Amino acid sequence: MPVTTSTPEIVSVKDLEKRFGDFTAVDRVSFSIDRGEIFGFLGPNGAGKSTTIRMLCGIITPSSGSGQVAGYDVVRQSESIKQTIGYMSQKFSLYEDLTPVENIRFYLGIYSVPESRWDERTGWALGQARLEEVKDRLTRELPPGWRQRLALACALLHRPEILFLDEPTSGVDPITRRHFWEFIRGLAREGVTVFVTTHYMDEALNCDRIVMINEGRIVAMGSPGEIVAEACPGEAKATLNDAFIRLMTRTERVQGPG
Amino acid sequence: MLINPRNVQAVARKEFYHIVRDYRSLYMAFALPLLLILLFGYALSLDVDNVKVVIVDQDRTELSRDFAGRLDASAYFDLVTHLPDERAAVAWLDSGKATIALVIPPRWTENIRSNREAPLQVLIDASDPNIGTISRGYITSFVERYNSRLLVDFLGRQGFDNLRPALEGRIRVWFNEDLESRNFIVPGIIAVIIMIVGAMLTSLVIAREYENGTMETIRSLPINAVEFLTGKAIPYYLIAMTDVLVALAMGQLLFGVVMKGSFWLMILASSLYLSVALGLGLFISIATKSQLVANQIALLVSYLPALLLSDFVFPVENMPRMMQIVTWIVPATYYIDILNGLFLRDVGMGYLWPSYGVLLFMFLVMAAVAVVKMRREGL
Amino acid sequence: MNRIRIREIVRKEFIQLFRDRKNRPILFVMPFIQLLIFGYVVSTDVRDVKVGLLDQSRTRESRLVRDAFEGSPVFRITHRADDPRELEELLLRRKVDIAIKIGPDFSERIRKGETAAVQVLADGSMSNLAGVRIAYTLQVLETLNQDFIRELVPQRIDYGRIDARARTWYNPNLESRDFFVPGMVAVLIMIISLLFTSMAIIKEKEVGTMEQLIVTPMRPFELILGKTIPYILISIAQMVAVTLFAVFWFDIPMRGSAGLMFLGVCLFLISNLGIGLFVSTISATQQQAMLTTFFFIVPFFMLSGFVFPIENMPLVVQWLTYLDPLRYMLVIIRGIFLKGVDMTVLWPQYLALVILGVVVFAGAVGRFRKRLD
Repeated sequence: MPVTTSTPEIVSVKDLEKRFGDFTAVDRVSFSIDRGEIFGFLGPNGAGKSTTIRMLCGIITPSSGSGQVAGYDVVRQSESIKQTIGYMSQKFSLYEDLTPVENIRFYLGIYSVPESRWDERTGWALGQARLEEVKDRLTRELPPGWRQRLALACALLHRPEILFLDEPTSGVDPITRRHFWEFIRGLAREGVTVFVTTHYMDEALNCDRIVMINEGRIVAMGSPGEIVAEACPGEAKATLNDAFIRLMTRTERVQGPG
Repeated sequence: MLINPRNVQAVARKEFYHIVRDYRSLYMAFALPLLLILLFGYALSLDVDNVKVVIVDQDRTELSRDFAGRLDASAYFDLVTHLPDERAAVAWLDSGKATIALVIPPRWTENIRSNREAPLQVLIDASDPNIGTISRGYITSFVERYNSRLLVDFLGRQGFDNLRPALEGRIRVWFNEDLESRNFIVPGIIAVIIMIVGAMLTSLVIAREYENGTMETIRSLPINAVEFLTGKAIPYYLIAMTDVLVALAMGQLLFGVVMKGSFWLMILASSLYLSVALGLGLFISIATKSQLVANQIALLVSYLPALLLSDFVFPVENMPRMMQIVTWIVPATYYIDILNGLFLRDVGMGYLWPSYGVLLFMFLVMAAVAVVKMRREGL
Repeated sequence: MNRIRIREIVRKEFIQLFRDRKNRPILFVMPFIQLLIFGYVVSTDVRDVKVGLLDQSRTRESRLVRDAFEGSPVFRITHRADDPRELEELLLRRKVDIAIKIGPDFSERIRKGETAAVQVLADGSMSNLAGVRIAYTLQVLETLNQDFIRELVPQRIDYGRIDARARTWYNPNLESRDFFVPGMVAVLIMIISLLFTSMAIIKEKEVGTMEQLIVTPMRPFELILGKTIPYILISIAQMVAVTLFAVFWFDIPMRGSAGLMFLGVCLFLISNLGIGLFVSTISATQQQAMLTTFFFIVPFFMLSGFVFPIENMPLVVQWLTYLDPLRYMLVIIRGIFLKGVDMTVLWPQYLALVILGVVVFAGAVGRFRKRLD
């Protein structure tokens, strides 16, 4: 059972840590996300973005620390979390040897969407992904951008409260990316919380709030404007990109000699 | 087509890393052969000694007891128990606790003595035909010798007391003097191991490149089909030859299976046969481009024929004509013929050259087919 | 447990399995080829034993020896040699299985009441067959011996002989096929069910779809059921097809109950699927899964009694065979086909399959986690 449903926070994480042997992928991070927020998780490759997202989704178990997603504990109630979330990974992970319709039907079954609503949801998903024309082609034969739209639609079939997107736009052309972000903002307006990782700074501007992470540690948190102001004080023309580079090199300097 | 040794070396090294990094490949390459040799050397045997016999003696005379006693004393039989009736005997056969049930009918002795029909009912559990055949051979042979004894004893009592058997078979067993099945199974298993490492493992290697999409990269490299295939084959060649040597050593040290013929002829034959296997495995891999399918096809055309169609366990002479013709294209047939010559018959090239010739021919064909197929795939 | 979820996984699995054309030959053609090969190849019968004969005596008695061998259903004199070297050569070149030499003084000795030797050289390379050939050779010679003795004695001998009437039960014609083909049904089921179960799960891991499944509310047991049910159905279909093929093509009699066999196969499948599942938990790629599966299949095959009798194995290895599910299945399937026995005889095998299946399956399920780390 959800512990609290009334708080505005849908995700809250405290001292979450993940170690693989000697290597600490995520080093005691704490943050929280409000309902309906678009929350950006920024960092270079290997910073621990995917590991964090995968801990929140119950794919891997945290080494220590605690967290709640939609009121459920990430360690003890990870199975309950799963009905309330949608997840799309950076790698396309639907069945390439099934058609879009077959993929949709499979996930409708897995998410226990009542069978009476399957037709309606299938139509909705095909419409959202703009795949009506190719609904009976093998997914393998579709261009990468189209497949990504299908993956997103499948992650939303069960109307999740929160959507986790792990580098959703890597390898996608700019036009598709713009459509994608319009869609995401639409979702947020409907009250869906979106947790997205990316390393595209222009995309990060779409987020309400951002966490920057490097080598497993949080180095900055706030709205894009706050972060720029804090990282580059007194530089009026500074962009998020400048802030990012500055923050990333700063931590390296700190860690270098020590 | 020129061959650049450096290219070959590079491919071979990469392939070698693949094998070494995955303990499962190493298992297949070394542990499975060891396991097979141990199993075949220690545990698996087709020989049948001490056939378990139960007797239903409804005659109960001195003669019937003598018969049972001699049976028990024979090295071939183990008289387990006496049973009261045939039904009980059948139950023993049903449950597999006895292989032969003998029923000596009432008035048996009387019938023998008065030259009437004296049947001895022999029920044999032939559900395993190998055991059934052997048991039947042993028991009928035993009864016949007992008959000779009865006759001589009778004539002795009639006054012909220094009568001797008129003829006597002097059996000498050649090639496998102790009649131990491991003496032919251990060499045979070497042929199976070479097929596992040479063909089954290699059948995965190019299919894997296709499935992982790395074949595209290889196509773009300045490397030709011969270099690529040779490089892929070399690590498996080395592993399989190591296996052969280990198998030879284990056979000799642990099981006393001593090769009588020339060591170098054995190495030459193994090299040729292994090369055929490698060519076959690589060809399957290129042709199927799918690890699962390649594995299944390799199982069907390499492992099973080496086990079944090569005169290893099942004699070719018993097979129908069609199947005998099929065995001619099975490389293991020729390799096993050579191994039989070297391990058991102690013969040399003078006897074995035709088999060497066929293996060489098969290797050339297989290598050519694999290279041509690889080139057609754009390398 | 959610029925719709399981149904949809099964449905998806079937679509994938049959859409991939490469799977079709493995599922539909391969088993029959293997069965055909086995049906035609395996035979350890001893018949048509090739005999080479060197007769240096050339008398009535030596001709009787020749006739005795030619009259026997087991032997066939294929070669005549003129001198001992030629005879030995026949053996060295594997032209004959047995070489018989009758010396020049053969008849003379018999007529004088002495024992005449018949030299028999046997090729011992295939020891099991050689043993039987020798036994039959001795039997032929022993019968001749009695004939000669009777001739030597100048009076009528009013003394009988034991007439061994051998009946080979369960397999009256000693057909190896009747023995091996039913066993092959079990082996084929083992190969397919083991391999495909582990591959089906590994493929999800390898392609990355497993990650997507993990973030769904699906329970591990639902995934396991959904993944194994298709292969249970396929294995059962295969059992039916292969059994029908065995019965109608090879004329192998099925003496026992088909229902009992069906039950046996179902129990057998539990262990196989458990092992397949286990393999999938310790492998990351298809290649690893295949190699690991093969590592199970080979010892299971060798220790099952399929070719090599378990009674011949050393005691320790005999204990090991108790862990081999194929061992029990073979006893069941052969018992039903050849002996027509029922539960009263076979119950220990069924019980063993149940115990083994439950332990293996439970162990594998326990290892199977819906996690990636």
